[in-house]
Formats: sequence, structure tokens, C-alpha cells
Amino acid sequence: MMDNNSAQRLPGPQAGAVKFTMLLAGVVLLLMMVFGFVMRAAQGDLLDLDPAMFYQLLTAHGAGMVGTAGLTGAAILWYFMGRYVPLARGVFWAFLGLFLLGVVLILGAIFIGGYAGAWTFLFPLPANSGGVWGADAAAAFLLGYVAIGVAFLLLYLEVGRKLIAAYGGIGGALAWPLVMGKGTVEDAPPPAVVAAMATTIFNTIGTVVGAAVLASSLVNLYFPEFKVDALLAKNMIYFFGHVFINASIYMAVIAVYEIIPEYTGTPWKTSRVFAGAWSLVLLFVMAVYPHHLLQDTVMPAWSLAMGQIVSYLSGIPLLAVTAFSLIVYLRKANAMRWDLASALLVLGVAGWSVGSVPAIIDGMISVNKVMHNTQWVPGHFHIYLILGEVAMAFGFMMWLIGKPEHKAIGGFNWAVFSAYVLGGAGFTLMFLISGALSVPRRWAVHAPEWVLQSQIATGFALLVILGAAMFVLRYLLGLKHSAGR
Amino acid sequence: MKRHLRPGLAAIIMFACILGNRTLEADPVLHVLVQLPLLGVCGALLAPRREWCWAQGGFAPLLAALFGIAFWMLPRSIDGAVTFPVMTAAKFLSVPLIGMLLAIGWRQAHALLRGFLKAQTVSMAGFMAFLFTHSPVRLCNNYLIDDQWRLGFGFLFLAIGLAMVWTIPLLFNARPRASPRTRAEPMTHVQSGVPA
Repeated sequence: MMDNNSAQRLPGPQAGAVKFTMLLAGVVLLLMMVFGFVMRAAQGDLLDLDPAMFYQLLTAHGAGMVGTAGLTGAAILWYFMGRYVPLARGVFWAFLGLFLLGVVLILGAIFIGGYAGAWTFLFPLPANSGGVWGADAAAAFLLGYVAIGVAFLLLYLEVGRKLIAAYGGIGGALAWPLVMGKGTVEDAPPPAVVAAMATTIFNTIGTVVGAAVLASSLVNLYFPEFKVDALLAKNMIYFFGHVFINASIYMAVIAVYEIIPEYTGTPWKTSRVFAGAWSLVLLFVMAVYPHHLLQDTVMPAWSLAMGQIVSYLSGIPLLAVTAFSLIVYLRKANAMRWDLASALLVLGVAGWSVGSVPAIIDGMISVNKVMHNTQWVPGHFHIYLILGEVAMAFGFMMWLIGKPEHKAIGGFNWAVFSAYVLGGAGFTLMFLISGALSVPRRWAVHAPEWVLQSQIATGFALLVILGAAMFVLRYLLGLKHSAGR
Repeated sequence: MKRHLRPGLAAIIMFACILGNRTLEADPVLHVLVQLPLLGVCGALLAPRREWCWAQGGFAPLLAALFGIAFWMLPRSIDGAVTFPVMTAAKFLSVPLIGMLLAIGWRQAHALLRGFLKAQTVSMAGFMAFLFTHSPVRLCNNYLIDDQWRLGFGFLFLAIGLAMVWTIPLLFNARPRASPRTRAEPMTHVQSGVPA
């Protein structure tokens, strides 16, 4: 463990690399939002889009949003862990290089090779395109994922080993001594470290499982006689996918733990309940994934029941601990200055919490039977992302650019923020309403009865894009301004 | 282990592997998961304990060792070692050399590289498990399909075992310690001037 002297010699957060990463991420997020806008406009008959292109855009949008959410989460985790442990700077560049290599492969697979098998690459779909794309395109897509997976494993390896060394093992970094009544709040690691350690563990496991099924799918592409059990592959894919996208939010929330105390002047400490909740999150995130497989009747009944029960339970650490403790924390704060950064960060926690409600509803077997293939599901995860993870990422970006943005929210900033929130809420609500009306998801062409909802959603999507574009533009100008200073 | 005991132990292992070659290679699990690692250990025991310029950072020896391991991961190589005397001789010469390179490289490798190699070992063992259990055909002429499946499950248990051996100590190393709260940049109130 480091003593205070060595801690003072910490090189500090890798600000330049993280700022560059967030710029890339902001631009990609914007592009993915435009893809989403185009798809909703096509469903609303506002745009003539070839269905083949729709599914390519759907694939790019899904892979791009999940990947970029992961990228922003990882950048946040890396930045703030740099405050506590000396991280090897080359690792982040290697991470970013591998990530970008993956992006190039994925984009090439989709827009050159025509791959359109969705971001979930459900086995054996990559090898069964019906002539729409070739094996090479599918292989490029899967290899892109492999490159991104290796990037994340490398990053977690560095973060994990440094946290383990600094805090006396995984248990120490998860504040288990405090949970077991053997430590004190003062001795416990900061909340960001607890969150980083938990995320490092479950996303490493998730990524390894994903890598295994990716390797199997790659072999299957060129040697079709090698077949992995399709149900096992589906379990592995959804375990990986569920864990990865959740990890992106759990990494991004580190920005809330680290930045909000700077606004309130009150440190956010790791309490016994907080530490215990994060250990539960570690288990629940991995145990809950069968709620994606409730329509697979060949799954063991106990696993589906577990999926439903853990869906209920996993809301507790989130809602009762992170969201509730944020409210209590803000109320206790001596002063709270609302600017674009703090507003977006708090919005992120609120959106994350609200998004969990339709998720828990869909996690009930009786509801899932009729709702799972409807737009209810994109409704819940778009709340998680637009109003949750992405809001936190934009909040972090606004905070990163420093002083110019730290003025009370008002005027133009308030209008931009309101447009983003209103657009996000309206857009996701239209998904939920459409889902409740049994409008199917992932359909390129919509029946006339469903067109109005898509048209309204397209309008809200435009608001989201306008808000996001302003955030990215402000970030870009802020970077230029701070470089000038 | 005392240094002077190493050559003796290496010799014992080598002789045991040579004398028991027929028995060990008769079963793919013993051949791949017992004899080959033992030959590797043999080379590791004989590895000179000094720092080499050419091995700085461990990259050169580890890369060479990984290529060697990749060769011996191929079912065809394993089959050849059973069928052809030249390949048998190559096995007894090259695998100890691989073990020696691994030991030299490991000693000089950065902790990050060591962690990467551990992760690579677990994932490759998992991949070999998939390969041997899911192949619709026999991959080695010398071994029956049942033997191939057993080898696949052997790799699976190896992957699980190694993952547990390498991660469990990290889990239970928790002791209440003072937290390194001090940061590189002292925590400041927001630039907007929130009162402390």
C-alpha cells in the first residue's frame, strides 16, 4: 500500500488523453444519434430508407452506442483512478489504439461488407446471412469486438492490479473490512475506488465470456462443422452484453462520486451500506442476465425465476443507495451550485434510476411474454443511455473543460439542457408508449397504425441531437479555450 | 528451492518423462497436460538466474516461448510427436527450451505483462477446451474421440483451476488499512467559487 509520501508523488490523472478520448466519444455519440434519428424517421415514413441499409444502421447504432458508452465510462474510470493510484500511461494509449482498431473493423464490416446482424451477433446469425453479407464481413465485425475486448481487459488489468496493490487486495478495495465491521469510514477507500474495483471485476469476467463466444463464432464462420450449443452461446452473449452495458453506467457514475463533492464542499465517503451495496451490485449484475432470456422456454426454470427475482433485487442497490444517497447528500450539502456539468451529472443518476423501472417491469416473466419484442425494451435502455450514462459523460466533459462552464446554469445553457432533457424524455416515452401498444422493435418498415408514434419520436430525437451537438460544440470550444490559457 | 538442487530435479523429471514416454503419450490428457508441462518445468529449473540484455522487459524470450507453445498447441504436432521419432526428439528438446525461455522472460517481465500472460493462458486453455470438445471429427489420428473430449475437459478444468489459483489470493488479501486518500491534485472546491 502506498504511504502518503508516495501518494503525493502520483502523476495525477491523464487529462490530455482523457480529453481527447471524450472528444472522439462525443463526436461518435452524435453520429450514432443521427443514425437513430434516420431510423426513426424511416419508420415514420418521413424518409425513404432501403431496409438493408436500415439494418446496417441498426447494427452500427447498437454497436456504436454500446461501445462509446463503454469508452466514456472507461475514460472516466481511468481519469479518476489516476487520482488515487499511479497508472501506466502507455496502457491508456494502447487501450485507445485497440479500441479505434476495433471501430475501424466494425465500420468496415458494416458499411463495406454489408454486415447487419445487430450488435448482439447472436449465434449462428453471423454465419447465416442468407447472402446479405459474407463470412469475411462477419469475421471483421467479430474481430472488431475482439480488439475492443482486449483493449478493455488491458485497461482493467492495469487498474485492477494497482487498486489491489494499493488497498490490500480486492476485498480491501471493495471496503469489505468496513462491511464486516472491522474498519472505519475514515480508513475505507473512496466511493470511486469501490465502484472502480467492482466494475473491474464484473466487466473483466463479462468480457472474457464474450471473448470466448466471439472466438467460437469466428471458428464457426470458416469451419461450420464446429458448432457451439446455440443456447449456451446465447447465454454467453447476453451475459457479456448485459454486463458490458451496465458496466459503462457503473463506470460513469464514478464521475458523480468525484465531481459532485467539488460542488457541495462535502466529501462523499464510503459508508458501510454503500460498500455493501456495491458488493451486491457485483453479484447482481452477473446474476440478473437471464431476464434477457425469459422467452427461451428451454432455459432451466430456476434460472428464469432467478432472472426475475434478481431484477427486483438489483434495483435496491441502485435506487436505495446511489440515487437515494445522492438526494440525501445534496440536501445535506452546505451549498450547491448548478451549472451544466452538475446538472447533467445529477440528471444521469435520475435517468439511470427512472430507466430501471421499465426494466424491472420487463423483467417479470408474465410481462416479458408480451412485451419483450416490442419497443418497450428500447424504451428502457434509451432512458438508461440518453438520460443516464450519456448525460453523465456529457457532464464529465463539461466539468473537464474547466472554468468557463462553471457558471450558474441559465440562458442559453438552460435552453440546451432543457432541450436535451425534453427531447430525451419525449423520445424514450414514445418508445414506451409504442411498446405498450405492442409495436414491434427492430422492424425497418412500420404499419400505418404505428407511423404517428415514430414521427413524434423523430421530432424528439431532433431535440436530443440539437442538445448533444451543443454539448459537443461547447466542449470543443472549451478545449480550445483551455489550450489557449 | 535451493539452487544446487535444481539441475538434479530437472534431470529426474527429464528421465521420468523419457522413461515413461510410452505410457504418458498413450493418453492425450497425460501427454498434453502432464508430460509437456513437466518438460517445460524441467527447462525452467535449468534457466540461468541472471538478467540478460536481450531479454530486457521479457519480450524476446516470452515471444519466442509463445510461438513454441502455439506450435505444440496444434493437434497435428501432438499427433506427430506420437507417430514420428523426429517429432518426439523435437518435443524433448524444444519444450524444455520453451520452459527456459518462459522462466528467463518471466523474471524480467513487467507486472502488467505477467498479468496479460496469465489472462492469455486462461483464455487459451478455455479455447482449447472448446476446440477439443466441439470438434465433429477426431483431430489426432492417434487418439479416439472420447480421449479428445477428455482432453477438452482437462483443458476446461485447467482454465478454471488456474483462474481460481490466480484470483482467490487477490480476494482474501483484504485487511483494514489506512486508505491512500491523498491525491496528486488536492481536492478543490468547484471553480465557480462554492464556499468551503
